[in-house]
Amino acid sequence: MSRPTHGLRDWLMQRFSAVYLGVFLLYLITHFIRHPQPTYQQWHAWISHPVMSIASAIFIIAVLVHGWVGMRDVVLDYVHSLRLRLLVLALIALVFIACGLWALQVLLVAAR
Amino acid sequence: MANQHAAPVFLNLLRIRFPVGAVTSIAHRISGVLMFLGLPLLIYLLDLSLQGPDGFARAVEYLQCTSLRVASTVIAWSLFHHLFSGIRFLLIDTGTGVNLQQARRSAWLVNIAGLAMALIYLWRVL
Repeated sequence: MSRPTHGLRDWLMQRFSAVYLGVFLLYLITHFIRHPQPTYQQWHAWISHPVMSIASAIFIIAVLVHGWVGMRDVVLDYVHSLRLRLLVLALIALVFIACGLWALQVLLVAAR
Repeated sequence: MANQHAAPVFLNLLRIRFPVGAVTSIAHRISGVLMFLGLPLLIYLLDLSLQGPDGFARAVEYLQCTSLRVASTVIAWSLFHHLFSGIRFLLIDTGTGVNLQQARRSAWLVNIAGLAMALIYLWRVL
């Protein structure tokens, strides 16, 4: 189980990932405002651009870190039975790992 | 003695008044959980949209059906509320806007801005 010292580390991870997610999302929003309704070619070219690919891969990792700490905190607050808590946390971890791998694979295929 | 230290128990959810900051805070949680639930849908749509012109057209078409209009608007609200209230929490962490009046004002601003952006998404983007 987590040791008391992990609290500060997680708190910091939550905030560092939040800053990256926030900056990336603000970029996404301004991009969609400036280029509404792209064609497939524009859409694909934008996402498969090397800088965008790498920035998106980091975004996915930041989502996993941020989402995991957040969801875990929610579970720890509301699910008190130890067995159920472990089960729910394991399911959430599985969903995050599967979604992360899937999203990275989508990016890799697009960048090829 | 016992009475002096007993915390008042008043948990009628219909009668508890939430200060605006508490609404911002609980909505931050709820929006986070909603985005977690929406994650597979978002990745599925991204995957489809990058599978060629046909897949892209299908992804755009899917977004127009009623259930996905509702789902994507909920996810859009979640994203904007979480983003705005997250920026607010980070600023408060760094000591900006901590006094009660400022904190209340920014909480109202964040709550309204999240809803407004979701409505803009629904009416102008979809």
